[in-house]
Amino acid sequence: MKDVKTINQNESQQRMHYVIADLLMEIYLPRTVNSAEALPSFAPFLVEHTDGDPILSVTVGFEKLQDDMEQTKLLSEESLVWGDHFQFRESENYYYTILRTSTKQEEWKMRSSKDFFHNEVYAVENEIQSTTVLSWLLMVTFAQSALRYQTLLVHASVVEKQGGGVAFLGKSGTGKSTHSRLWLTYLSGYQLLNDDNPAIRIAADNKVWIYGTPWSGKTPCYRNVGVALRAVIRLSQAKENKLEWKRGKEALITLLPSGSGLRWNSGLFGAMTSIFQRVQEYVPVGHLNCLPNAEAALLCETEIEQKQINEVRE
Amino acid sequence: MILREDLMLRHVGDDYIIVEPGQDQIDMSRVYTLNETAAWLWEQLQGKDFNSDDVTALLLERYEVDRQTAAQDADALIALFQSQGLVKK
Repeated sequence: MKDVKTINQNESQQRMHYVIADLLMEIYLPRTVNSAEALPSFAPFLVEHTDGDPILSVTVGFEKLQDDMEQTKLLSEESLVWGDHFQFRESENYYYTILRTSTKQEEWKMRSSKDFFHNEVYAVENEIQSTTVLSWLLMVTFAQSALRYQTLLVHASVVEKQGGGVAFLGKSGTGKSTHSRLWLTYLSGYQLLNDDNPAIRIAADNKVWIYGTPWSGKTPCYRNVGVALRAVIRLSQAKENKLEWKRGKEALITLLPSGSGLRWNSGLFGAMTSIFQRVQEYVPVGHLNCLPNAEAALLCETEIEQKQINEVRE
Repeated sequence: MILREDLMLRHVGDDYIIVEPGQDQIDMSRVYTLNETAAWLWEQLQGKDFNSDDVTALLLERYEVDRQTAAQDADALIALFQSQGLVKK
C-alpha cells in the first residue's frame, strides 16, 4: 500500500462512547470540538464507562485526505439527503464517502475499511458543529457494521405502546411520518419511537426488537429505547384502505428495499438479507394501501391485533 | 462453467430464491425463484466446474427420466443460468 497520511489517535483527541441498539460505537473527536454541540442527537446514547468491544471505530480530524480519487471506482452519485453533492467510491482496500453541503463548501471525506470497522472522517472544521454531516457519516458506519451483529438500520417510521412497536416502511414521500402521526392522534397510548432510521435487532432468543437511534430524519426524536417489534407494514398511497399480509418470499421482497446493507458488498448485502429473512419468520409483515386518514390507522391497528390473536391460536 | 460464489440460495417459506443486488447506480436488485429441482442442482453444483453432461448425470441420478429429457432440461437450465448472469464470466 502506498504511503498515505492518516489521522492519528493521540492526546489531542477525546474518546467518546455511544451505545445504540445495544451496540458500542467508539468515536475519537478533536479536543477542540464540543461533542454535545457536534453530535446533539447522540446525547441520549452517551455512556461514560464501557465494558465489551466496540462494533466500529471512527476517528475525526481536520487534516486533508491525500488518497488519489482518480484511482478509485465510482459506485454511486445519488443521495436523498445530499443530492448531487455526494459520491461513494471504492478502492482495493477502502470505501470512500465524499460529500459537501453546498457547491461553495469544501468536501468532507470518510475513508472506511471494507467491513466499516475502521473509519476516518476528514472533516470540514467550520461545519462540524453547524451541520449534521458528522452524524450522517456515523450513520453510514453504523448501518454497515451493525449487520455483523444481527442488527439492521431500516428506513422507517416507528410508533410504540407498552413495549411493542410497529414499523412503517415506504419510499420517500409515501407518507410514513404522516401515517405515524395518524396513530399518535387517533389511537390511544402511542408514542413516536423514531421517524426515519430505527434499528431492528434479532436477539439470541430470536426475539425481534426495534430501537430508537440518533438518526430520525427531520423529526427530533432521539430515544434510547428498545421495544418488541410487533409488525412491519409497507405503505403505498391508494384510493382506499386495505391491508394485505405477506409471507415468505413476498414478505422478504416487501422488506428488502428498506434495508441499508451496501449492495456493492456481497457480504454486507447477504448479511442484511439474512436478517430480513429471519425477521419475516418471527414478525408479521404486511402491505397497507392507504389514504392519509384516521380510518387507515384504525384498520392497520385492528388488523395487527387480529393477526396476533390468530397466531397465538395457531 | 462455475456458479457465481457471491449469490446465495435461500429457502424462504415455501420458496427457493436467490437475491441479486443491483450493481448500477440505480438500484435494480432482482429476486430469482427456483423450483425444487433447480434449487437441488444449485446446491450440487456449488464450487464445481460443470457442463451440460454433469447436470444431465445429476438429473438421471435423482429423477426417473430418460436421458434425452434430462439432457434437454439440463441445456434449458444452463441457458437460463447464462442468460441471467448467474454463472461466472
